[in-house]
Amino acid sequence: MSAAVIVALRVAVSPEEAFTAFTRDIGRWWTSHPLFQLSRGGDGALRFDPAGPGGRLVTRFDDGKEWEIGAVYHWLPGERLSFGWRLPSFKPDQATEVDVRFEAVGDETRVTVEHRGWDAVPQKHVARHGFELMLFQRRLGEHWRGLLKGMEAGL
Amino acid sequence: MSAALDRMLGALADPKRRRAIELLGVRPRSAGELAADLGLAPPAMSRHLRALKEGGLVKDGHPDFDARVRIYSLKDGATAELKQWLAETEALWAHQLGAFKAHVEDGE
Repeated sequence: MSAAVIVALRVAVSPEEAFTAFTRDIGRWWTSHPLFQLSRGGDGALRFDPAGPGGRLVTRFDDGKEWEIGAVYHWLPGERLSFGWRLPSFKPDQATEVDVRFEAVGDETRVTVEHRGWDAVPQKHVARHGFELMLFQRRLGEHWRGLLKGMEAGL
Repeated sequence: MSAALDRMLGALADPKRRRAIELLGVRPRSAGELAADLGLAPPAMSRHLRALKEGGLVKDGHPDFDARVRIYSLKDGATAELKQWLAETEALWAHQLGAFKAHVEDGE
């Protein structure tokens, strides 16, 4: 597995409810933040269109322009959602991938987002194993371990 | 993502080059030493080192005592851009998941 950004938290609903709210309501809960907005014009209104397998994650900016963030790869209600992630600033051959997992923890759900950015390596045929051995990732590993430890309090 | 990050990821797309980065992370080495460590012929090692230099990951210089020897080491801040991408992406999802949690638990 290649290294990635991993962020997780727990929500007080079932995995099915969490999945439905994540996908159906993404236009309502997603909030633009000036420090990391998707484009200079903010994030727009996100939606899965159509909702379900084979759909796409799309956003409509305030000026009416639409941008396809990525295609949906996995749509497993209550379990897993994955989709491509490309922003207007990316080059055409650059794509990253977001994987969202929903796991029951008692009567709550742990939602884990894994965002893999290493797939932007130009040589698509190159096997991408071994990245986790790299120096800067060892340094980052410390950081992730601290991060996830901090989260365990809330998990 | 920028062209610089593109070049860096391209430089890292080869397992021998990733191993070279690891070795240089421990301490600076000469090309000959790296070639021996990686089991590569000198010309192949030169090609890999050129890719690593172009990727902005590695720099070379001469030790004070011998101008004929070229020593390779990791470039300071080589991976700063990558780290920035990681930090920003992490902040993005921490922020959005927090917003998602608030939305779900408000029972909307």
